Amino acid sequence: MTARPLLIGLFTGLCLTATSLAAETLPKRWVSAGGSLSEWVVALGGESRLVGVDTTSLHPASLAALPKIGYQRQLAAEGILALKPDILLGSEEMGPPPVLQQLRAAGVRIETLSAKADEPTVQGNLLRLGELLGTPDQAKQVAEDFQSRIAAQAAWVKKAQATQAAPGVVLLVGHAGGNLLVAGQDTSGDWMIQRAGGRNLASHKGYKALSTEALTALDPQVVVLADRSLDGDAARAALTRQNPGLAATRGVRDGRVVILDPTLLVGGLGPRIPDGLASLSRAFYPSVQALNSEGRP
Amino acid sequence: MTRIVAARPLFLLLGFLLLLVLWLSLALGPVSLPLGDTLRALARLIGLPVSGDGLGQAELIIGQIRLPRTLLGVATGGVLALAGVAMQGLFRNPLADPGLIGVSSGAALGAAIAIVFGASIGGLPEAFAPYLLSACAFAGGLLVTALVYRLGRHNGQTSVATMLLAGIALTALAGALIGLFTYLADDATLRTLTFWNLGSLNGASYPRLWPLLLITLLVACWLPRRVDALNALLLGESEARHLGFDVERLKVELILCTALGVGAAVAAAGMIGFIGLVVPHLLRLIVGPDHRVLLPASMFGGAILLLLADLVARMALAPAELPIGIVTALIGAPFFLYLLMRGRS
Repeated sequence: MTARPLLIGLFTGLCLTATSLAAETLPKRWVSAGGSLSEWVVALGGESRLVGVDTTSLHPASLAALPKIGYQRQLAAEGILALKPDILLGSEEMGPPPVLQQLRAAGVRIETLSAKADEPTVQGNLLRLGELLGTPDQAKQVAEDFQSRIAAQAAWVKKAQATQAAPGVVLLVGHAGGNLLVAGQDTSGDWMIQRAGGRNLASHKGYKALSTEALTALDPQVVVLADRSLDGDAARAALTRQNPGLAATRGVRDGRVVILDPTLLVGGLGPRIPDGLASLSRAFYPSVQALNSEGRP
Repeated sequence: MTRIVAARPLFLLLGFLLLLVLWLSLALGPVSLPLGDTLRALARLIGLPVSGDGLGQAELIIGQIRLPRTLLGVATGGVLALAGVAMQGLFRNPLADPGLIGVSSGAALGAAIAIVFGASIGGLPEAFAPYLLSACAFAGGLLVTALVYRLGRHNGQTSVATMLLAGIALTALAGALIGLFTYLADDATLRTLTFWNLGSLNGASYPRLWPLLLITLLVACWLPRRVDALNALLLGESEARHLGFDVERLKVELILCTALGVGAAVAAAGMIGFIGLVVPHLLRLIVGPDHRVLLPASMFGGAILLLLADLVARMALAPAELPIGIVTALIGAPFFLYLLMRGRS
């Protein structure tokens, strides 16, 4: 009776030694403090290694079951240590710095990857994640796919703009139709509008509240609405109910209010970006044949 | 108001409670450590010759995370409650709060400036950058308090009523400026600002701790020397003057202690409301208005309440953390209401 557990123990012990030799430097227990970074880890097959995520990691939905470490700029050292992570992944916004120092002192590897919204950053991040996950080939493939879809998107926009002028767009981030913030220059929203082939009519910097009158004066042909609490037609209805003045704009009058997932706008570019761009483009250029999910028209 | 509890048993009880929460604060956390490890790590921290085999993690968690955090909690809670006693004594009003003389709003303004514009201030020495926020908050609190004091002075006299009104006006002004910075801030900055306004003992480290400990010690040594004057002030300003106390000097000292103490606490832990208002008030309901008892009891009470709140803050949502300002109000407000209702019946 006593020999069997001993043998099993010995066997598992051997197995563990064998695997740890093979993957000695690869971190096994991951905590991710960045929405799009978590998504990429999952896309690269590392979901089973995640033991905790921050409050911005909402996609894919299966991450909801993991322990939540809170907001990326307000991390708690001991809470994270309780998850016994080998690595903490996050963007340059991760903090506060004393907590990161404490974690580093406790032997947790801190990997900071940029959340900048541009393609070279995504490429670099993916290759680095591939190294850390031990799946460099898969990472290379995913990075190439992402790049080719972005390139296909750009080519498609160029073609579409030959047949139709770029529409003037405003992108609104709101809450149940109210408290609207308009995406200005140098924002993730602005990047999305441009890559989808639109012209951002807002000239201010950052996300700012504009008066309904100022919005009406911009007279956008398409309104992109990223509502944090409502989706689809409910969001559209709430927008016009809360801001009756907007009914005077071309976009609302012609029914060209496009719904965008607000989580696409925060934390850098994630794997859902190409699909998001394609659906925006479809709304910007309704008469041009849309791109499918392989990036081909 | 009559005393419910005599001084000696009260201090015994408060001392026991403080030791208890100190122990809990060192022994409990999201990482569960065996009792033996905690004890050994503590023993090693105070230099006892105990073997440190297999203690790596425990020593780090106790020494670098929980101990600075606990000390920060004791100092912050204690000094905020002391400042509350000083202000309630100065204004002769149990509803007075350190915020009245502008120290909190000034600190908040300083912090908002540091948070929103900190990144764009170039040429700062690398070593100073992490302390910019604390330094700005501390300076902001002192500056606005100095301004409030200056506005309250006329012909060599300090009018407490004018100071109160000046404090309200400057708090509104600071609020407007903070609102303006909030408008200019981007999303991430905004969240930092919000969290700062709720306070936290998270990320406590020794370099941030020493200035606060020093100031707390100073205030805790200074204010008890003025308990007789504070008691006399309860009778009224001119009565205190006739009893032979230098009231003008007392006012300056009370304001200075409050500005320094609250400024340092806020700089180290962010805005933690409620302690300064409620702890002295609550203890006054229990021990009566005699500052000889009230002052030290409030210091103990503030430290105990803040450490308890921090235990909840770090455990409730682990591995995430709750801002401590939320917890102090959640624990304190219902207890305060209970005492109020009981006192009435």
